[in-house]
Amino acid sequence: MSALEGLLIVEIAERPAGEYTGKLLADFGAEVIKVEPPGGSPTRRMGPVKNGQGVLFNYLNLNKKSVVLDVAVSEDREKLERLLARANALIDDHDEVWGELHRLTSAEVAAAHPHLVHLIVTPFGQGAPAEWQRVEPINVINASGWAYHSPSETPNDKPPLKGPGRFLADYEAGIDSALALLASLHRQRKTGQGQFIDISEDEVLLNRIDCVLDRMLAGEVEPSMDRTAYDMGGPMTAFACKDGHVYLFMTTKAHWTGLCGLMGNPDWAEEFREDWLEFDCTPENVRKFRAGFRSWIAGQEKIPITEAAQKSGVAMVAVNTAADLPVNEQFIARGFFQEADHPAFGKVVYPTAPYKLSKTPVKIVRPAPALGADNAEAEAG
Amino acid sequence: MAGQVTSCGGPLTGVRVLEITKVWAGPYAGKMLAHLGAEVIKLESSTNLDEMRAYGGVDINSAPYFLSINQEINSVQVNMKTEEGLELVRQIVAKSDIVIDNIRPGAMERSHLGYEDLKKIKPDIIQCSIKMWGNGGPLGYQTGYAPCFAALSGLFNLVGHEGETPMGMNMRHGDSTAGALAALACLAALHHRERTGEGQFIDLSAVESLSSLVGDSLFAYSVTGQIPQADENFHPEMAPHGAYPCTGVDWISIAAPGAAEWQSLCEVLDGGNLAADPRFATLGSRIENHRALDDELGKLTRTHDAFELADRLRKAGVPAFKSMNSIDLCADEFLWGRQGFRMVSDHRNGARPVIGPSWRISPDGPDVQRGAPLLGEHNEYVYREILGLSQERFDELVARKVID
Repeated sequence: MSALEGLLIVEIAERPAGEYTGKLLADFGAEVIKVEPPGGSPTRRMGPVKNGQGVLFNYLNLNKKSVVLDVAVSEDREKLERLLARANALIDDHDEVWGELHRLTSAEVAAAHPHLVHLIVTPFGQGAPAEWQRVEPINVINASGWAYHSPSETPNDKPPLKGPGRFLADYEAGIDSALALLASLHRQRKTGQGQFIDISEDEVLLNRIDCVLDRMLAGEVEPSMDRTAYDMGGPMTAFACKDGHVYLFMTTKAHWTGLCGLMGNPDWAEEFREDWLEFDCTPENVRKFRAGFRSWIAGQEKIPITEAAQKSGVAMVAVNTAADLPVNEQFIARGFFQEADHPAFGKVVYPTAPYKLSKTPVKIVRPAPALGADNAEAEAG
Repeated sequence: MAGQVTSCGGPLTGVRVLEITKVWAGPYAGKMLAHLGAEVIKLESSTNLDEMRAYGGVDINSAPYFLSINQEINSVQVNMKTEEGLELVRQIVAKSDIVIDNIRPGAMERSHLGYEDLKKIKPDIIQCSIKMWGNGGPLGYQTGYAPCFAALSGLFNLVGHEGETPMGMNMRHGDSTAGALAALACLAALHHRERTGEGQFIDLSAVESLSSLVGDSLFAYSVTGQIPQADENFHPEMAPHGAYPCTGVDWISIAAPGAAEWQSLCEVLDGGNLAADPRFATLGSRIENHRALDDELGKLTRTHDAFELADRLRKAGVPAFKSMNSIDLCADEFLWGRQGFRMVSDHRNGARPVIGPSWRISPDGPDVQRGAPLLGEHNEYVYREILGLSQERFDELVARKVID
């Protein structure tokens, strides 16, 4: 059984933000019908490409159906209206100009379908200047402050970074979009009424840094132009080891004594006070520690040494690559990666969801749809 | 206490959540649900405080970290080290829809608050447990903090400057994302319960939460066999795509998805000379020569004010935005204007600015107004109104420090 069985979601999104929102719900078992223009969603053409198919599209649209409609043509428009009449929700991620052009503004949708939950996710939310609504994910991550402060300890002469891959802002925003949508659908169950939900990707990213940035807003910490304004300080960072990298987190005396034992109590470590992390964590000590630790860890292998560290109470972990994860025993035990046959790619493993629901586990039901594979859905009703 | 406001209204009105949480990920999950209208009750104890009530101050009722997360949360005290206290917890569970925890592996079970225990108290309870590696499994004993989740997840390895050790996002990234995903899973389970009457257990891995943010990269590895690497600001289908230096220590982010944006960018920056450079004639050649392109652009942007240039570029149709520092953010009129930053009540100062939810919902949306609770602010509401204890019984439990 699936958690969202019985819910019908229409998705008219064309960017990763909206498509990821739909994916999260489709993975929970909602019936998600992706409405695409003739020619298909632009995400179909984004790389990497294998055997003529976009890999990104096939990830973002797993478990969905596809219906092709040209909503500017009246016959297709009527089909869309009939779909919306029997749907629970509509997911959109276009700018407001597009909505006006396609008569899919919040007011028009609410008037025609008062029962429908209508969500639009955009870079800065409804009402932002028109040109702000057409920026790319790298601009959103920079607008939010995350880029300026990533990675930790970046010097002034190195560029702020966009984060992992191309779409961090979209994925974070997809989570809040799916969350708010499910909340509103809960209300719909009780009242039969729809709502309009306006999600700002920028504000999602700002909310994620609440307890750091809010202390600056409230005047408890001085805001600054420092690239390190969000950092915690201390020796925590990544280090190169024999077969990759490890990350060391260390803030207490217990961490330190555990680590000294793990390293076999080398002479250089004797020069530090036992409680230096709490009471003597100067930049000079951090530098000295890192120099000593760096030369020791360089000769270690990441899996055995981090397992030994954990058993000594040291929060040191491996920096895993994409290749490490499918063979990691914890990922295997939890079943995070699920194997399936794909019509174009052959046997593949999909990363699934971080939550295991005991009664309604996330399942792979169908690969991402071929363009218009489910056009018959638009004939129903 | 009758008539006390315990929710900010909105679509989850009538849903009751009990949180046994500390630090960031768990409280953030509670906040997400509270900001959608759920009544969220946080179990606290003066002898076992959320560390966030201690960081950055001496007054547990005005600790900055705690105030910045726990808006619209209701605080109830209980001493969970006593059997009587645990019995009170069980009575609150019986009146709740969702229970969220993020305390140490095994701690809920030791207090007889594991899912099998809670199910006996309330058969349709939804319980969500957040752990670094999830519950159980061969590495479930391991613990860590947000950058550890990121390192283990595959995300950390994908962020870094070219030719350097991968460094991940800022080290503060990760807890809140795991919390948001926990809230999402709780609502999916709530829908299942509404339809079938059945509750369930949700086991959330913070590591996998961050893996899910790089899902397309992990899937691409499976399909293509190529291991994705940290790529600075490179975009395989867009150039320019990056951050470029401006005056002072400022940077501007610029992306040019197609020919029109590229032309406009060149016109704004140097009247079109760059556009004539054969190395940058087509999107394909710009991607191929992206390092040279970034160097040339950096020379041109360096003399500009980042705010002004971003504004001019956007108006010319080029996606651009200043890389915002914390002063820029705190002073941002746009964010204040649309209540991205907003004021809530505060016990000490009357009002406090907080970062508001990312959603606007209408009609009947939530209205976040109440700041974080005093320790035990909602004791009477929970014990007298929800559990229906007599005043005498309540007073006696307080006197004996069961409610403490």
